[in-house]
Amino acid sequence: MTLPRPHRTGMPVLHALRCAGHAGLARVSAVTGLDESEAESELIDLAVAGLVTHLADGFDVWGLTEAGRVADAEWIAGELEAGGARPAVAAAYERFLVLNPELLDLCTAWQLRRIDGVMVVNDHDDPAYDTRVLGRFADFDRRAALVCAELAAALPRFGRYRTRLAEALDRAHSGELEYVANHVASSYHIVWAQLHEDLLATLGIPR
Amino acid sequence: MRWIRTLSARTEEGPQTLGAKAHGLVTLHRLGLPVPAGFVVTVEACREFMRAGRLPGGLDQELTIAMAGLEAATGRRFGGTRTPLTVSVRSGARVSMPGMMNTVLNLGLTPEAATALAAETGDPEFAANARLRFLTSFASAIMPDAPAGSGAAAGRPSLDAVPTTSGSAGGRPSLDRAAELVRRRGGRTVPDDAAGQLGPAIETVFSSWDSPRARTYRDLHGIPHDLGTAVIVQAMVYGNRDDHSGTGVAFSRDPNTGENVPFGDVMFGHQGEDVVSGRSAPRPLHELAGGEPAVWSALAEALNRVEGHYRDACYVEFTFESGELWLLQARPARLAGGAAVRVATDLADERLITRREALLRVSPHHLRHVRTPRIAVSARADILARGLGACPGVAAGQVATTTEAAVRMAADGPVVLVRPETSPYDMRGLAAAAGIVTARGGPASHAAVVARAMGKPAVVGVTGLVVDAASLTADGRTVTEGTPVTIDGTSGEVALGSPAVSTGTADAHLRRLLAWADDVSGDHSERDESDRLSAAHAALRH
Repeated sequence: MTLPRPHRTGMPVLHALRCAGHAGLARVSAVTGLDESEAESELIDLAVAGLVTHLADGFDVWGLTEAGRVADAEWIAGELEAGGARPAVAAAYERFLVLNPELLDLCTAWQLRRIDGVMVVNDHDDPAYDTRVLGRFADFDRRAALVCAELAAALPRFGRYRTRLAEALDRAHSGELEYVANHVASSYHIVWAQLHEDLLATLGIPR
Repeated sequence: MRWIRTLSARTEEGPQTLGAKAHGLVTLHRLGLPVPAGFVVTVEACREFMRAGRLPGGLDQELTIAMAGLEAATGRRFGGTRTPLTVSVRSGARVSMPGMMNTVLNLGLTPEAATALAAETGDPEFAANARLRFLTSFASAIMPDAPAGSGAAAGRPSLDAVPTTSGSAGGRPSLDRAAELVRRRGGRTVPDDAAGQLGPAIETVFSSWDSPRARTYRDLHGIPHDLGTAVIVQAMVYGNRDDHSGTGVAFSRDPNTGENVPFGDVMFGHQGEDVVSGRSAPRPLHELAGGEPAVWSALAEALNRVEGHYRDACYVEFTFESGELWLLQARPARLAGGAAVRVATDLADERLITRREALLRVSPHHLRHVRTPRIAVSARADILARGLGACPGVAAGQVATTTEAAVRMAADGPVVLVRPETSPYDMRGLAAAAGIVTARGGPASHAAVVARAMGKPAVVGVTGLVVDAASLTADGRTVTEGTPVTIDGTSGEVALGSPAVSTGTADAHLRRLLAWADDVSGDHSERDESDRLSAAHAALRH
């Protein structure tokens, strides 16, 4: 069976759904860097090709079809092997895994804090505490940037994660606290989780 | 000796020098409880290591002397070709930093010592497994820049891929593979003499004090970077030795309710790390009573003595080897919420502490948790599985095992999403669900972070939970999609059906405690609960 081959700009959109899960236009736009109308046009082409589908279940989101998943896997595998990028991506993934528990520690510290030996929800009414945690995020981000740079050198499409992580941290520093660990925004945690999923997908590692 | 102290009832120094874990072991010795023979390399040695970048001069000679002492105490030979002595090498700082630092188990199991252990026990598979456990823990520890992540989220895929059971072929391929991994990760071979393994293992524990993740943890929790950690070297006891061996953790009182009954997990036929790694499902502690009655009664007696010493609910880690109990760690339990209220009032009633002490043991922050909804104890809920509470609160709904099903079923009523773990793929399902359960991951996993962001009750790290296409299996019971369940994000319980929910599990105890608070403050007016407690604290600290 020959799979329909979407044209080149369609692939990042397809892969965005692979890494971010089901997503609406705003999220596809945030992940790919395309504006919403471009993204929608690509999604419609991909839907015509049978690779994505629009879910009208109240969420107004797009998702991969099974054929879309297969096409995405073929594309990223081809890209990885053609560029000889596997060793570099695999090595960067090992360094990602060292950072991953620390990032999750940081997100946890952002959400919960220990006061008098009791874990309580961080209600963000103590700027000194939040500043301390954000300071650690900034330090972490400097080390994460090195891994992102290695990935981008191996496969340029990974460069987008650096941009998005830096954006999330900038916004958090300027007072938009939902950009740290919330689920709605392109928060640091959300972008990091998508990078994790992308690395697993790219290297063909099952969850 | 300058850098080393033997662990015994006569060890005099405190946690500043020995670290909290070793100090706890000294306490156990003083209480006359069974502790494997061992010694501690002091916190000062770690500071010297950090300053100079290498192990302090003279430590080598002290280690030789200390190991000779350990050989004499156990009647075994380190690296010996008969009755070999093996040791654990563990971190232990003055303040607890769970999962941040390295541990090496079964050290001293050279190929020759493993052969000797096989001959001694008549169990070649046990010996091969023990050697494999040594190689994998050594490899994990010497990985460059690697922090010692404990949760599944830490992810060490290449090492996790090494099977932990040797199989019928005698385990050679996986042993060779593990040795190869050590070479690849650490750029060095595993020393083939037992004494040569000890220095590098101590060095790697000291180094792990300064891993980036550990530094971040200390910054977040206000722990000074120059504190340093001690290293505890102890004769191994094997929870996987035979059918009368195992390992577990125990609280002297139920940490969920504060009720005065021992509570915890036990794993028959396993080593301690298996509990942490989630490789196998633990059993409720009370099963020890039927399985190993002598171990159970020794443990119950030990919990009593340790509780009497701390004058508080306590927590211990234990291993039993061929029917003999050993304690590996002890500390006050530090319970929270309603459990803290109940333990403080009960201890005052038992005259173990005064009412004033009881009041000071409960923080006004505990009172917030007292009102968090919980599955009622009186409901005698049918508990299907137990994990770690990751976001407090109770959620009831029908089981959905995929994001698609959760979204579909949520149109008809509340849903509890149950997944092996979560990924960005599950965001819609997480959004649609009333509560979340994952088999893997700890309180800092992706699912836990997202659940808290959404304010949804969550239970993570349910070991032994298997999620299939449209069903889940736990503890031998299979539950199909659509079955009603209730989860408690404080206790980590997953119950069948919809048991009663309570928002004041410790009501009677709380009323008593607050009455004492009013007596102390002299103010009996109608006020907020935490104000009543705070007023008593102010009066007591005046």
